[in-house]
Amino acid sequence: MDSGVPQNAGYLIAAYILVPTILIAYAASLYRRSRRP
Amino acid sequence: MRELWRQAWTIARKDLTLEFRSRTAIVSALVFTALVLTVFNFGRDPTAVSTLDLAPSILWVTFTFAAMLALNRAFQLELENQALEGLLISPLDRRSLYWGKLLANLAFVVVVEAVGLPLFVLFFNVAVGHVLLPLLAVIALATVGFVAVGTLFSAMVVRTRFAELLLPVVLFPFLLLPLTYAVQATARLLAGRPLSEVVGWLRLLAAYDIVFVAVASWLFPYTVEE
Amino acid sequence: MTIAQKGRWLVITGLVLLGGVYVRALAFTPVERFQGPAQKIFYVHVPSAVTTELAVILLGLAGVFYLFLRDPRLDRFAESSAEVGTVFAGIVLTTGPIWGKPIWGTWWTWDARLTSTLFLFFLLMGYQVLRGAITDEGLRARYSAVLGICAVVLVGFIHLSVYLFPTLHPQPIVLKPSKPSLPPEMLLTLLLSFGVFLLLYTGFVMQRYAIATRRAEAFHG
Repeated sequence: MDSGVPQNAGYLIAAYILVPTILIAYAASLYRRSRRP
Repeated sequence: MRELWRQAWTIARKDLTLEFRSRTAIVSALVFTALVLTVFNFGRDPTAVSTLDLAPSILWVTFTFAAMLALNRAFQLELENQALEGLLISPLDRRSLYWGKLLANLAFVVVVEAVGLPLFVLFFNVAVGHVLLPLLAVIALATVGFVAVGTLFSAMVVRTRFAELLLPVVLFPFLLLPLTYAVQATARLLAGRPLSEVVGWLRLLAAYDIVFVAVASWLFPYTVEE
Repeated sequence: MTIAQKGRWLVITGLVLLGGVYVRALAFTPVERFQGPAQKIFYVHVPSAVTTELAVILLGLAGVFYLFLRDPRLDRFAESSAEVGTVFAGIVLTTGPIWGKPIWGTWWTWDARLTSTLFLFFLLMGYQVLRGAITDEGLRARYSAVLGICAVVLVGFIHLSVYLFPTLHPQPIVLKPSKPSLPPEMLLTLLLSFGVFLLLYTGFVMQRYAIATRRAEAFHG
């Protein structure tokens, strides 16, 4: 990898973890709400 | 068509007569406007920021508040003594109810702005004389934009709890657009930019008005069906 | 399978495929020369923004049909689309700053995409707050339709105004090419991601719709 490219992979990882977290959290919320009578 | 206007005018006159008979709302709105302008004046550091940079925003925030006040009371009048039902049973065309309310709200806001603008010029020492006509055009167009959508929404929220809280929340994005155009136009006018730079914003405002007055008047009957 | 179950399967499939998109984005798509790896946030950020807008447009359309047809199912769909749209708006508004910080140096920029998504977010908030304040179903459906239609007209107006008045900027916009001509590998990754997000949207809306239907039945039953 050439040294000219910025080393900001940390942000990428943060975002890539955040997105499925939000999606799974919402999916879980929907599942819980469908179980309630 | 003429019948529509006649009915609308009747409704507007009724509202305005009630309004100016009791005078509470208009006086409160005027005092509030003066208050807001005063707060803005004390809330800034004239050595740090030039008046001209802040002026457009101050003016428009003040006018937006004024419009909100007007809209909040728009349908309050009809809540008492089931006046709204009375209006609806009458052989009035529903659309004329919208136009009537729109006219009344516009009149209310224009009165507040007519006092607010000179106060603004006075407090902030802003020279508007040379751009008065285009400035009035901006104010007129933006006001129509606020009130057109606001009249529609106030008809809806009046039936909910927390109507006064709900109206700003729901109306906010629809205020933001004409507000942005108005601030851009006003900023350029006050900075002495050539009119050619302002015309585009005026056209946007006019387009917004045409579109939303049409949409709101089309949708209004759906809010008062019964 | 019930609608809810189908929806769940769609979401699970979507999540798995999202993993696939990740693999493709990380291993098989080139790193952007000037932005570095963080640019790859683009592949989740942009599809989320498009999905948010889609959610708003669909709820507005449902509103139009509702006013003519008065079918409560349309209203339940609109309600679902609004909630799901809010979730995707949340994704845009969180990934945006995470992308923005390393690239532009600030957490928030008033670029076209973030600004318009924030706008959509406020529209969706207002829509859901209005719904929450009305208990009568018919009234709520009617008023939501009215608001939804206004929202769609507003969105359309903003887009058209950018076309018709290209020299004006509605907000101070940091000039940033929102869609530079992408090399084909990047374009493919982006398109695949679009598909995944569409799948997720559909699955979520189906589940939310099922919840709304159950609530309505419980109310009347």
